[in-house]
Amino acid sequence: MNFDLDDDQRDIASGARDFFRGSASPAAARAGLEGGALEPGRKALADIGFLGITVPESAGGSGRPLLDLAVVAEQGGAVLAAPSLVTAARAAVLLADVPDLAARLADGSTAFAVLDGSVDGSAPSVDAAEATTFLGLDGRSFVVGEGEVVPGRPLDATRGLASVRMTSRRVLVEDAGDLWARARQVGAVVMAAEDLGGADRCVQVGVSYAQEREAFGRRIGSYQAVKHMLVDAWVGVEQLRSLVWWAAWAADGNPAELPLAASAAKACAATTFERAASTLIQVHGGIGFTWEHDAHLYWRRAKVDRLLLGDEAEHLDAVARLAVSGALGA
Amino acid sequence: MDFDDSPDEAGYRAHVRSTLEQHADELLRLAPGQEAVDARTQEAEMRRTQRVLHDAGLVGVTWPREYGGQGGTLLQQSIVGQELARFRVPALINHIGMGMCGPTVIAHGSQDQRDRYLARLLRADDVWCQLFSEPASGSDLAALRTTAVRDGDDWVVNGQKVWTTLAHVSDYGILLTRTDPERPKHAGLTMFVVDMHAPGVTVRPLRQMGGQSDFNEVFFDDVRIPDSERLGEPGEGWRVALTTLMNERVTIGGAGSAIGAPVEEFARHARERLPLLDPERQVLARQAVGRAVVAALGARYTGYRRLTTLSQGGIPGPEASAGKLAGTEAAHLMADAGVRLLGDDAVYAATADGDDRWQRTQSWLPGISIAGGTDQVLRNILGERVLGLPAEPRLDKTAAFSQGRPDGGRR
Repeated sequence: MNFDLDDDQRDIASGARDFFRGSASPAAARAGLEGGALEPGRKALADIGFLGITVPESAGGSGRPLLDLAVVAEQGGAVLAAPSLVTAARAAVLLADVPDLAARLADGSTAFAVLDGSVDGSAPSVDAAEATTFLGLDGRSFVVGEGEVVPGRPLDATRGLASVRMTSRRVLVEDAGDLWARARQVGAVVMAAEDLGGADRCVQVGVSYAQEREAFGRRIGSYQAVKHMLVDAWVGVEQLRSLVWWAAWAADGNPAELPLAASAAKACAATTFERAASTLIQVHGGIGFTWEHDAHLYWRRAKVDRLLLGDEAEHLDAVARLAVSGALGA
Repeated sequence: MDFDDSPDEAGYRAHVRSTLEQHADELLRLAPGQEAVDARTQEAEMRRTQRVLHDAGLVGVTWPREYGGQGGTLLQQSIVGQELARFRVPALINHIGMGMCGPTVIAHGSQDQRDRYLARLLRADDVWCQLFSEPASGSDLAALRTTAVRDGDDWVVNGQKVWTTLAHVSDYGILLTRTDPERPKHAGLTMFVVDMHAPGVTVRPLRQMGGQSDFNEVFFDDVRIPDSERLGEPGEGWRVALTTLMNERVTIGGAGSAIGAPVEEFARHARERLPLLDPERQVLARQAVGRAVVAALGARYTGYRRLTTLSQGGIPGPEASAGKLAGTEAAHLMADAGVRLLGDDAVYAATADGDDRWQRTQSWLPGISIAGGTDQVLRNILGERVLGLPAEPRLDKTAAFSQGRPDGGRR
């Protein structure tokens, strides 16, 4: 057994950290709420190769395992990068046998979004607000086409949420139920990875502040009430990291485990990120409640992500059903 | 990243399995549904089981060969643990000796002590206990009051220890005492090996809230300990105790082993019980089951990450406290859901057919949140030593212990 990233994956993570720190930021997420452009944006993500990490080499991607994409997604999540690598991960699964479209996903020439819910009026779907080509499930058929986009007022602009009514559709795969489900599980893993990055960043920023800020004559991190709150958030992040890595590994290493692992990671991500972001605000006190402070941008991401691709209750239910039906090998 | 055994690991696992099969008749094993054995009534079988496993090369896997161990790896140790659990062999009687006392003797004992004690400890020829907590010093261990006073070649010990697991069957213990009350609390302590059969040692069982008696109070009345049984220098007892405590937190939930019931057993229980609940209750129960499984898997895989780090040469550090904290949380969630799945039987101490697994686990877990570092002490350790948050100001670290409480109160 060896449960750790290898040197290649560490290098990938380190390169991704540098890229995202230079190309995205909570400030951009704040500007996005007032109409600013998403950073780093689809083109930059394509140019550095992140949109094609799991796209086959024959279609212009890197053909790498999901775990590589997950370690990159974590770094993107840390600075609230947009658009989401969830879309790239999910579309790469769906388009595995459609090389021309997969190539346009990898090189960023087409703005894809994957629709949740009905193609005749979708649920709010990630990255749909700026997309032009939509992937949907029409009955049992996997379809591609154009659509009419209806965005809502964003709680977190970086997610690019919008509802879509598809106005044209071409069937790519008949009887695509299993393919669709697997793509959604992969999407859930990558969202959990982005949430891991965000939650980890919240803990780091909260700890730094608690090391410096003084109240009642001493640094606030010395008070157990503050310290324990940060520790609980950190312990949660460490559990989430284990589940994300396991789930991302399972996608290629043991696909039979993916449904359980993906739901476990997504359920854990929902509460872990929310707690970390709430803790970040609380540790900062009044300043953490201001528009200027970055805390609310992580909080917004957490409040939105917890409900996307299945909320905590849905994934807990899935975990329970799978565990009870023997998915743990019991 | 790979969760399967390497060829070496698979070979070792096969060896462990065949060894267990070969000795099946000589081992104490748990009946289905039985969670633990009782050292009070099954001491002889438990000692024999450890001896048989030792002689078959499955005890002290990571210990140096010169002390009776196998000189093996942490991953091999972990494989033995998994296979013993699978074979339904209960925790070994000397688990405290192996987990805490032995490593302390290895780190701080004289060569003579290592030679005399360690091989016998692994074979359960001697059972060991850890004599740390006292009625007035639990979390604040360094406030302990049991005294050891030098008298010629001996030390004379007086005082009381409490929560001493296995003291009633123990042959030896590691004993933390105060030898210099005029120095600050941490600086006046000294550690010894004490013979539990020595005159003046009295062991009385304590009954836990769940009704069982796994631990004891131990009284020391003019007990003489030869100076040659000292572990470390006089006044260095705190440093010696930290070795013990660090090993304790690795032992409890530090490397992927479950605290309480394994998640697979919990899942089997849910499979049997969920269909018996009302349909609306099933929806709610599945939420609780899912939450507990997620917590248990998170703790397990975080333990695997730690195990990987340690097996690649990492040093056990304060992060181990996170393993205990997360494992304890998962165990609480599983026990709570496990009991609630019993429906009407959840309000009784056992089901109508006498099964008390989940109720017993439920009444045992409050102790796990206390033993080996309370949840709150562990959060302080993690906050200060892992996250780097400042410590709370302390008034008790510098004054002589005999000066009383720094706030002016009486000690």
